[in-house]
Amino acid sequence: MSSDAVKKRKPKVIRNEAGTPETKRGRAEGEQSVEMEERRRQCSVHFITLKKLNRLAHMRLKKGRDQTHEAKQRVDVLHLQLQNLLYEVMHLQKEISKCLEFKSQHEEIELVSEEEFFQEAPAEISRPHVTRDDHHQLTLARLDWELEQRKRLAEQYKMSLARKEKIHKAIEQKREYLSSLQPGLQNIMQASLPVQECLSMPFEQMQKQAEVARHLPPPLYVLLVQAAAYGQACDKTLSASISGDVDEAKALSRPPEDSQDDESDSDAEEEQQNTKRRRASVGVQLDDKRKEMLRRHPLSLCVDLKCKDGSVLHLFFYYLMNLNILTVKTKVSTTTDLSGAVSAGELLNSESLLNCLYASDHGQETPNPTNRYQFDKVGITTFADYVSDLGHPYVWVQKLGGLQFSSDGAQVCVLMGSALSASHMERTMKLLQGRLQARLALHKQFSSLEHSIIPISGECQHLFPAKVVSGLTLVPVEQELGFVQHVLKAGLLRETDLFFMAVVERGTARLLAAVVVNPRYPEVMPLFSLSLHWKGERSGRTEDNLRAMESEVNMFRAELQGPRPGLQLLTNQIQRLCVCLDVYLETESQVCDGSEGPKEFPREKMCLRTARGPSRLKPFKYNHPQGFFSHR
Amino acid sequence: MFISLQLLHMSVFSQSFSPCGRFLAAGNNYGEIAVFSLSAALSPDASQASQKPILNFTAHDGPVFSLLSTDTHLLSAGNGEISAWSWAELIKKVRVSCSVNDNSLIVGGGDNNIHIMDMETGIFKSVLKGHTDYIHCLCFKEREEEILSGGEDGAVRIWDSRTNRPVHCIEVFKYEECARPQFGKWISCLATDSDWMLCGGGPSLSLWHLRSMSPTSVFPLPGCQREAVFYQDLIMSVGEGPHVSHCLHGGTVKAQIPCTPSSLNTLALNLKNTEHRVMTVGGSSHQIDVFTNFSYRAFSLSF
Repeated sequence: MSSDAVKKRKPKVIRNEAGTPETKRGRAEGEQSVEMEERRRQCSVHFITLKKLNRLAHMRLKKGRDQTHEAKQRVDVLHLQLQNLLYEVMHLQKEISKCLEFKSQHEEIELVSEEEFFQEAPAEISRPHVTRDDHHQLTLARLDWELEQRKRLAEQYKMSLARKEKIHKAIEQKREYLSSLQPGLQNIMQASLPVQECLSMPFEQMQKQAEVARHLPPPLYVLLVQAAAYGQACDKTLSASISGDVDEAKALSRPPEDSQDDESDSDAEEEQQNTKRRRASVGVQLDDKRKEMLRRHPLSLCVDLKCKDGSVLHLFFYYLMNLNILTVKTKVSTTTDLSGAVSAGELLNSESLLNCLYASDHGQETPNPTNRYQFDKVGITTFADYVSDLGHPYVWVQKLGGLQFSSDGAQVCVLMGSALSASHMERTMKLLQGRLQARLALHKQFSSLEHSIIPISGECQHLFPAKVVSGLTLVPVEQELGFVQHVLKAGLLRETDLFFMAVVERGTARLLAAVVVNPRYPEVMPLFSLSLHWKGERSGRTEDNLRAMESEVNMFRAELQGPRPGLQLLTNQIQRLCVCLDVYLETESQVCDGSEGPKEFPREKMCLRTARGPSRLKPFKYNHPQGFFSHR
Repeated sequence: MFISLQLLHMSVFSQSFSPCGRFLAAGNNYGEIAVFSLSAALSPDASQASQKPILNFTAHDGPVFSLLSTDTHLLSAGNGEISAWSWAELIKKVRVSCSVNDNSLIVGGGDNNIHIMDMETGIFKSVLKGHTDYIHCLCFKEREEEILSGGEDGAVRIWDSRTNRPVHCIEVFKYEECARPQFGKWISCLATDSDWMLCGGGPSLSLWHLRSMSPTSVFPLPGCQREAVFYQDLIMSVGEGPHVSHCLHGGTVKAQIPCTPSSLNTLALNLKNTEHRVMTVGGSSHQIDVFTNFSYRAFSLSF
């Protein structure tokens, strides 16, 4: 601007310069040079003023800049200070919060409550005059008191330890002393054994048994206790004992933590081994699982039942641990040798000896319903396959062991455990003895029947006439017979029944009798089905008289049973059969083809009337002591 | 178990229909009488239970060999005694033995005589003697009021019921066409249809013309017949063998209908009631077969 002003002035100056020279040329060439000098002077003054102004401007600018700079600096310093202070504030705040959060260890110590403290602590520690006001002092005092208490208790602890050591040593000494006595005691016990036997008070045996009995699983224990009690109280012929491996039983009852550690270790080992060798096939693994499921407890119970004639029924009871059922195996030992009866092989077979002790108790399936699910996991379809190995799980065995399963019929049994066992013990033992006696008697009868002798005891002689002509042979039979079909249809045959065939012969006549013996003989009568081969074949189905003979032999239990317990039933039935055949053959009237001639079977039996009723039945009923035959 | 054993060895010996025709009484070898309701058994919604007796009681010690129905009572004969039961009471399932009224009862017994008893007073009116062995069967010819009796001695005797004198005596076994010596000479069944008479047993079942007293046809049935009846123009007979034989008057066997029991003792026709017109047969089984159409067995009642 100043330069513009200067520039403006300049032209003015120039104009002025230009304006004037023309007019005043003449006058003053001298004036002209003075003016020019003036103008030059003015110009240079102006130049200098210009420069000065420029300088001044520059200086003003610089000053302004400096001032700004200074102010800025001041502001920066203040800003920095502010930042510092803020930072410090933050730091302090953090510190404060850290301090506030700080939990001194002393707070973790459980101090006694203040009241207790004031009560218990001695005055120099508690210093109530100070501590009541000052919380910090109070805490300190309490800590002091705590420390003191702990010191005291540590002292006591050391003393108790020392005492314990002493007592321990004393115990050791006494134990050594006792164990030194042990051999001496053993000698005395040994010496007293004969005395015990003499007085028949087997204390030692009973103690040993009790010792082993502690390791029995609960059902076997209940069974042992109940059987021993029953044997002592009611039935001197019963005795119970434990057999098996006691150490294994002890091993089974070891606490589970140890076994878990063992398991994990062994698992690790197993895995290593498995990676080294080929993994066992799935079948083998399944087999192992099955074996594990069907594992028996190492201890088993042996109950012996003696009969009057000296034969003994041995019952071995086992407990299957994972399935929670009891099974039984049997063995019969007799005083006399039992060979010789071919057909009677089945009678004392240990597999079927105890079948159907109670009705429909076959012992082929497990009575515990939860086993079904366990079997599904390891692929066992029928338990019957393992029964011959493991024993029969009869329902009465479970009841004797106090095990009650909900599938046992509709009635809900309130008894459990020992009460259940006790309620069934007497009846079951009686049934067992009865069963053994019946089978032995049958066995004897069979062996004599096979020799064609029908053993009739003295008490039963009155049932039969003096002379019976028909003779008998006995044959075991398994095949299907036509004339037995009606019995099958009536549902009177079961798989557990035993089948025999008796052949009675007289002259040309041959009577075949198929006999079905229920395992619960003699509670259930054996069933006879007849077929006669004499001038043609007739059976109970085609001929009314043979049917009447069947009913005569099958139906009259009260007469044929004989004296209790009714073991003569089968032989009496067979004898009656022979008598009926005699009557039948002798009362058969005319000969078939019309030929007259002497009858093959002369009439020897006395009958009132040979035919009665529309079916013209023969008189099969024997009347004693008159000795004649009549109709029923 | 014992009950199924009993059923296995049961035989039905006699049957009789009630006067109204809706009930059947059957007697068995244990001395029991069972009353079955025919209306229940024949109804469209009959079930297994309706084939069982509505009432079952023990009437005698020995087997019940004969049952007879009068208008109000059921008479049952056992081994030596006759009992009478009121049908009204039986239908109500109560059994009461009481005396009977009206008419006379003809009883043939094991003492070789025929006794005629007045049912109202229970006194025996007269005795017909003549048989030499015990009597198996009796029947009555209403038109001429004659009694026919057949017995173990093989003779069929005809008596006049008014005079109680024997009129005729036919010894069946002496006739060669009928005689079957391998079975014996006893007569076990008699039936009469005014001019005609059926008799059978040991000798073959034969149809006799009574006026000429000669056998007109002999039926070739294999076993011994135990009961025979005339029905319309057929003759139905049962006996040994598990079938009912239908025969024609000419002497041919028209049909043999199979039944459940292996041999049959009794046959009864329910003609009193047209709704329940059935034939029932019983024998060596605990089941009684019922025929609604006489050509085949419909179902069985069971003790």
